[in-house]
Amino acid sequence: MDSELWIALLATAIGTFLMRALPLLWMQRHLVRKQAGNSLDAMPSWLTVLGPLMIAAMFGVSLVPSKVSTQAWLATAIGTLVTYLVWKRTNSLGWPVFVGVVVYGGVILLANVAA
Amino acid sequence: MSLQIASTESRSLLLGAREAIPLLGGYIPVAISFGLIAIQSGFSGWEAVLISTLVYAGASQFLFVAMVASGAPLWFVVLMTLLINARHVVYGPNIAPWLNKNRWWPWLMHGLTDQIFALALVRLPQLEARERMGWYIGASIVAWFSWIGGTALGAVAGKELTQRWPLLGEIMPFALPALFLVLLAPRFASRLWAITLGSTAIVALLFAVSGMKNAGIPIAAVCGALVYYGLSSLVRNKVQRSRGARDG
Repeated sequence: MDSELWIALLATAIGTFLMRALPLLWMQRHLVRKQAGNSLDAMPSWLTVLGPLMIAAMFGVSLVPSKVSTQAWLATAIGTLVTYLVWKRTNSLGWPVFVGVVVYGGVILLANVAA
Repeated sequence: MSLQIASTESRSLLLGAREAIPLLGGYIPVAISFGLIAIQSGFSGWEAVLISTLVYAGASQFLFVAMVASGAPLWFVVLMTLLINARHVVYGPNIAPWLNKNRWWPWLMHGLTDQIFALALVRLPQLEARERMGWYIGASIVAWFSWIGGTALGAVAGKELTQRWPLLGEIMPFALPALFLVLLAPRFASRLWAITLGSTAIVALLFAVSGMKNAGIPIAAVCGALVYYGLSSLVRNKVQRSRGARDG
């Protein structure tokens, strides 16, 4: 890499870091200024709503299979349903994800064997 | 006393590391692809690893490498990669109420990726205040190292790996939507949240299918906010109307 590319890489890295760190510092100062007993009360309400919405948006985006096909969509639908059912039963974090991936992979493999 | 604190810290560190394991299914295959593409775009293995270590933001790294390889002006490369990462600005403020006063927190934000944010937003409020930093460090280190290790693996042996196990890269990334679903699931008990989250996910899905994954995340979140506030005001009006009818 030449020196110009190094500068571009560092600018991207520093810019990305600042976008993650500076808003946190701003909010921490905001919370101190408000000096609320409960920090959540001092948070702008739109921000507390936006957090779960960002996760839902990431969920929607990540549902699209890397190789789009009818079988992959079917595996996604079954895998998602099974993940939710296992969560309902176990109320845990790891098991639903593990079983979901196994079922998703199983459907993909079965579809490949059948095809 | 200090022994007790050390044991709490190491316990929460291990807990965070363990809870970040589902992320590996999504991180490693994508990092392997990044390492492979970086090599094919003319970067060395060390340079690919350095990009993953310093930038540590999936989609923007792919864009950085592709734009540099295509000969785009470097200022434009930086601008576009930062634009893709702009959604990260809302993550820190969202978890701020659960972070104690410690000067290391801003530095630890280097590890605040989409997935670590999702995990932290749900888990930090459930943990005790003294456990949170250890948990966050454990989770973010596992994620960061898996990203760096996956990039190195992709740079060294990405071609062989993808040829030998082509299905692995197709199956493992399902861990990410499965994890996001589990993180959201407790909110489905409320009808307002279920409708809001469902519509947000559908809008994001439609954007992703149209090839606009990164733009889809903030736009879908804004659409979701409109649904949330729209439904909330409808419910409020309905309650006020029924109260008015009862009192009148």
